[in-house]
Amino acid sequence: MLNGVRGIYLREILILRKKLVKTVLSAAVSPGLFLIAFGYGIGNNARVDGLSYLAFLLPGLLTMSSMNQSYGIATEINIARFYFKVFEEYLLAPIRRWEIVVGEMGYGITRGLIPMLVIAFYSLLCGVQLHFGPLFLLALLLHLGIFALLGLVVALLVRNHSDQATMNAFLITPIMFLSGTFFPVAQMPLPVRLLAALSPLTYSTRLIRSTLLPGVTVETGLFPVLLIMLVGLFLLAGRVVARVQA
Amino acid sequence: MPAEIEVIDLCRRFGTTRAVDGISFRVARGELFAFLGPNGAGKTTTINLLTGLLSPDRGRIRYRGEDFDPGRLAVKKMIGVVPQHNNLDKELTVRENLRVHGRLFGLGGRELSERINFCLDFAALNEKRDTPAGKLSGGMKRKLVIARALLHQPAILFLDEPTVGLDPHSRRRMWAFLRRINQEQQCTVFLTTHYIEEADSLADRVLIIDRARIIAEGTPAELKQQAGHFVLDIYREEALDNEFFTTREAALERLKQLEMSVRIRETTLEDVFLRLTGKRLEA
Ligand SMILES: Nc1ncnc2c1ncn2[C@@H]1O[C@H](COP(=O)(O)OP(=O)(O)OP(=O)(O)O)[C@@H](O)[C@H]1O
Ligand SMILES: [Mg+2]
Repeated sequence: MLNGVRGIYLREILILRKKLVKTVLSAAVSPGLFLIAFGYGIGNNARVDGLSYLAFLLPGLLTMSSMNQSYGIATEINIARFYFKVFEEYLLAPIRRWEIVVGEMGYGITRGLIPMLVIAFYSLLCGVQLHFGPLFLLALLLHLGIFALLGLVVALLVRNHSDQATMNAFLITPIMFLSGTFFPVAQMPLPVRLLAALSPLTYSTRLIRSTLLPGVTVETGLFPVLLIMLVGLFLLAGRVVARVQA
Repeated sequence: MPAEIEVIDLCRRFGTTRAVDGISFRVARGELFAFLGPNGAGKTTTINLLTGLLSPDRGRIRYRGEDFDPGRLAVKKMIGVVPQHNNLDKELTVRENLRVHGRLFGLGGRELSERINFCLDFAALNEKRDTPAGKLSGGMKRKLVIARALLHQPAILFLDEPTVGLDPHSRRRMWAFLRRINQEQQCTVFLTTHYIEEADSLADRVLIIDRARIIAEGTPAELKQQAGHFVLDIYREEALDNEFFTTREAALERLKQLEMSVRIRETTLEDVFLRLTGKRLEA
């Protein structure tokens, strides 16, 4: 049962294990730099949405860098598909196509958990209290699942490696900066707010921030929103993967 | 007994390029079958169609009398594929590469370890079991890809240019290896090649494809017989000419009439190809 899911997940995890140290270190660099630049730059006395800026920023850095990790499977899948042709192994195996979706999503989620550890470490350094509870975990899983699926869909839709880079620049970078990770969306001008409303990261950041910070009411209404996005992307990924040819 | 593989009027285009244009052939069970053709002839496209990586625009593919439906998982278990380019996970060790493949094909536990050990022995890769695939020599990588394709004991093995990039010595060893697969593993072998010698010395039957169409088919001996078993290489001033003869006597008779430098020899598949297309296979 589920040979495809297990086979694909096994492959990805075996590879991840070989480069775990490198992955963890590089996952630590960019949130660390943002923390220094914005954290010191703006200072902890600034208050945003009734929170100290660092308390506001750390959850945003977590969602941003975990998004980068889980969406980051796109580049790997792309290379595996167009350059090394490893993806053909999946297409030739006696497995259902949706198993590819589940296996890769599982891998994207696993990778996305790395920044959680990184941010937990940073929060200790900064003396910001974060609460890693079950609601947070549930929100994080939805968030990671969404971006892993988005990465898979993009990797399967593009036709070559340079299109992949273009997609990353035009899709992920704006999402990263305009989704309320560094500053509240409410402070932005209207066009940006409209864009932010389209970005899944806006919702997952709000939800995850509310689950992480003690004393903040959890925005439970956002769970169904993320769930719907996840299911929608899953169905889309299933359709796209069914059409893939050599 | 129905043919192991039967292909009827298969077509596939890319844009306006006809990569495979109405080819038909049969492969018998247990046969070692070679698909010989120059670059761009349509060999890889044919393998991709036969293994479900591409869908045909037209035509039929049947395995053991049943229409091929890539959505049916049982038929995929019957097939092993060695692609033209080694698609190994370079970071993973030899054994890990095999393990992942085994998992994808539903093998696990003791059965999987036994198959891995068997294939490592069979391909003489046991000493390298814990070496990352990226660090193997070209010949070993190729063998590992073949071992991987054999792991789930396919009834039919497709190999797309199995010896490309190997030195002459390794190539001969690879031929012996492929014969063993065909005989000891009772595997039907379908290979593509653009090396004439390879088709000639290895295959039970050869099919020559050029510009998306089949131009000749038969055992190597039959193909040479059809062209004429003997050939004269006539070195004219501007070019090298060939003339074909069914008997040595006829060839010698002709040779006597010629004044220029002439050589008599047995026909090769290259000559067959040249005769049918007017161009050399390995240009
Ligand atoms: N994905 C593709 N898109 C566009 N054209 C393609 C594609 N795949 C193959 N072709 C074209 O189809 C024709 C047949 O290609 P194919 O790869 O099947 O040849 P081949 O016999 O395997 O050649 P080689 O010996 O170089 O591997 C070529 O003209 C090639 O350019
Ligand atoms: Mg080819």
